[in-house]
Amino acid sequence: MASTALGRLDRIRSAIDQYQGRLIAFAARITGDLESARDVVQDTFLRLCLQDLDEIADHLPAWVFRVCRNRALDVRKKEGPLEPLDDTANGSTHGVSVDPHRLLEQSDHARLALAAVAELPAAQQEVLRLRFQEELSYKEINEITHHSVGNVGFLIHTGIQRVRRQLRASGVVCQRLEGGRTDA
Amino acid sequence: MREERDGLKVTAYALGELGADEGAAVEAKIAASVGARREVEEIRAAAAALREAYRSMPRHELTPEQRLAVEAAAAREPGVPAPTRRFPGLLRMAASFAAAAGVAAAILAVTTPHLLRARLAAPHRAAGTPAPAGVAGYSRPQPRIATLGRKQNEPLRELGYVGGEMERDDLQRLRESSAPFNTEAYDHISDNPFVLVAQDPRSTFSVDVDTASYAIVRRFLNGGDLPPRDAVRIEELINYFPYAYPPPSDGRPFAVHMDTTTCPWKAGHRLVRIGIKGRELPPGQRPPSNLVFLLDVSGSMDEPNKLPLVKAAMRLLVNQLGRSDRVAIVVYAGSEGLALPSTPGSEKTAILSAIESLSPGGTTHGSAGIRLAYETAAGTFIDGGVNRVILATDGDFNVGVTNEGDLVRLIEEKAKSGVFLTALGFGMGNLKDSTLEKLADHGNGNYAYIDSLAEARKVFVEQAGGTLVTIAKDVKLQVEFNPRRVKAFRLIGYENRMLAHQDFNDDTKDAGDIGAGHTVTALYEIVPPGASLSVPGVDPLKYQEPARPIAGPDAGELLTLKLRYKEPDGQRSSLIEVPLADSGHAFPSAPPELRFAAAVAAFGMILRDSPHKGDADLDRVQEWARTSIGDDSGGLRAEFLQLVEKARSLAPRR
Repeated sequence: MASTALGRLDRIRSAIDQYQGRLIAFAARITGDLESARDVVQDTFLRLCLQDLDEIADHLPAWVFRVCRNRALDVRKKEGPLEPLDDTANGSTHGVSVDPHRLLEQSDHARLALAAVAELPAAQQEVLRLRFQEELSYKEINEITHHSVGNVGFLIHTGIQRVRRQLRASGVVCQRLEGGRTDA
Repeated sequence: MREERDGLKVTAYALGELGADEGAAVEAKIAASVGARREVEEIRAAAAALREAYRSMPRHELTPEQRLAVEAAAAREPGVPAPTRRFPGLLRMAASFAAAAGVAAAILAVTTPHLLRARLAAPHRAAGTPAPAGVAGYSRPQPRIATLGRKQNEPLRELGYVGGEMERDDLQRLRESSAPFNTEAYDHISDNPFVLVAQDPRSTFSVDVDTASYAIVRRFLNGGDLPPRDAVRIEELINYFPYAYPPPSDGRPFAVHMDTTTCPWKAGHRLVRIGIKGRELPPGQRPPSNLVFLLDVSGSMDEPNKLPLVKAAMRLLVNQLGRSDRVAIVVYAGSEGLALPSTPGSEKTAILSAIESLSPGGTTHGSAGIRLAYETAAGTFIDGGVNRVILATDGDFNVGVTNEGDLVRLIEEKAKSGVFLTALGFGMGNLKDSTLEKLADHGNGNYAYIDSLAEARKVFVEQAGGTLVTIAKDVKLQVEFNPRRVKAFRLIGYENRMLAHQDFNDDTKDAGDIGAGHTVTALYEIVPPGASLSVPGVDPLKYQEPARPIAGPDAGELLTLKLRYKEPDGQRSSLIEVPLADSGHAFPSAPPELRFAAAVAAFGMILRDSPHKGDADLDRVQEWARTSIGDDSGGLRAEFLQLVEKARSLAPRR
């Protein structure tokens, strides 16, 4: 029995290590502040402790993101829309600012891409992040957000098209492609 | 349409989302078209750009405390559900063991039916007194039962609410698992009992405009825990909400509004509401403020919901200030110091950059900092203005020079000089709730718990008038009940605000203060003469006749309220006297403000598992609150409904 508990502890610890940063950033965009995001994520892991870990091992990322998202939405509902502590111009990024040091190192096309999606509805940005930040599949995003798989595909497609147009308009993609790279 | 579908397919293909068959079909098409190949390349380039953009977002971690709590939960045996509170009687027993050390002496010394300032009389350090022998698991010196924190969900629930049939080992384990990482302290509260009017027709207490308990309760509930019962102070729950009482029109600092209705949780009883509304200050007519922030920058404040939130809250306040206001910042940690000398409110840049440069470190040494803060405030004292020290801390005073009594005396003395105190509690896990409340009570001030920026905004911005501008101080209430109309009464909440009857007319006795626009609400549960009530009686007196009701008409009066207050800079009190006749309202037709207050009171009683909660349950609380929500401009009442819902999900059996 003790060994089971210890095994659980190790698995929970590795889940925390693997997901805490991603979940906190994810939740903070919903709740609007970091403290309640931390609380939400802690709660997510506490709930994970009550699960049969073997049973959800196969879809762990989708599970933690789904629970985290639901909890964050609860909190947001309760607290009402918060003004973010410090925010970019767009409200939908909800208080999670970019790290300025890393921003300096960012390439032009990353900056353009961010600007291109900044105007999109929050729900679409969320899906884009789940795909390109969390590297989750359409199916997993469907499990987390309850958008149908087809709708997930649509949201990603139109989001990507927007980025593509922006890159094209600024010439970054052309240069890049003409520089000989054909595979991202 | 078809193009659209193809586009989706191509994107899915480029991102590797298609299965082998579909993938092969798209691949074949792409191979045949230069344009399609280019499209795939561009999609991948766009995706790469987005990935890079998103990588730049900062990563955060759980606090060590939060992580420990999760690990503690993970270490539990799998499949063992959290024990629920099945032993309320035993819980009370456990609570009384824990409280015994602290409060027993005070209870014995009390001669009236009230717990006379039990809160103040209970020495803090008594927690170290050994608990009674023979209590398994409690043989070691223990903090009070509610000395528990938020995030050890299971231990909290168990330790706070379960007793008796637990095995010794369980208790041992719980104690070990909860002891190390949480030291929140809440003084024990016993619900005010029913008092027979024939024995004592008076009820005397001090107003309380504190609201911290509500924020603490909210923090627990949103964190997925029921709050420890001693963290629930019903009057602070009730007074968290503004009530739409009309402001005074007779030049007095406040108006009194009383009403009656049937008691919704106890058939046959009635409910009396005393509502006080402080004079409102028109916006822009705020007197100049001389504020000294006294900030705890000790190591324990180095958490996102502490010092950074303090800074954010201060920025909000600074933006409210004008040229005639002054701000200074005193910090205390290893040593105290002046981080910002008193600076006019118009020099916002200087103030904001001083706020920015605050950083945590060192241990707390509160008393020296408090002295410096009061000296600073005295140095720039504004006659006729608001002179206030604003203490922001998690309350972890590492008191070296002085004990808590000395600290309280110091603050009391300074309050007489016209410098008042606002205490703001921050953070969790280390909050010394009782210390802060005590300090604010004695410093002619108020105490709020700031758990979010939204709460900071409520305290600093929306209610800046009330938080900062005291319109009356030492406000005391004394109610005399008419024995012909009232058999017994019970004041709901205010347990730690009870005063001795003779203190009512004693202007040297300190009491609570009311800020501009504040509302204060108190509820009495009344037992009419005909109703049955089991109150332990006393033997008839041997040497005296019992008091008898006077003959003659009483105009149907239930009670007379007497209220004493002093002007903020006054030394002598003024008296207001208002009689109340029963309005005869049934609960459903009572004014919404009264019904909402009753709902909040019932919620508090349920959370406290009060012996007086009658047939109140969370469903009814929700119903009462939902039908009395009013215009709820700040959304506070809607949030209350959410909290009730939350409590319901946590305590399905209650």
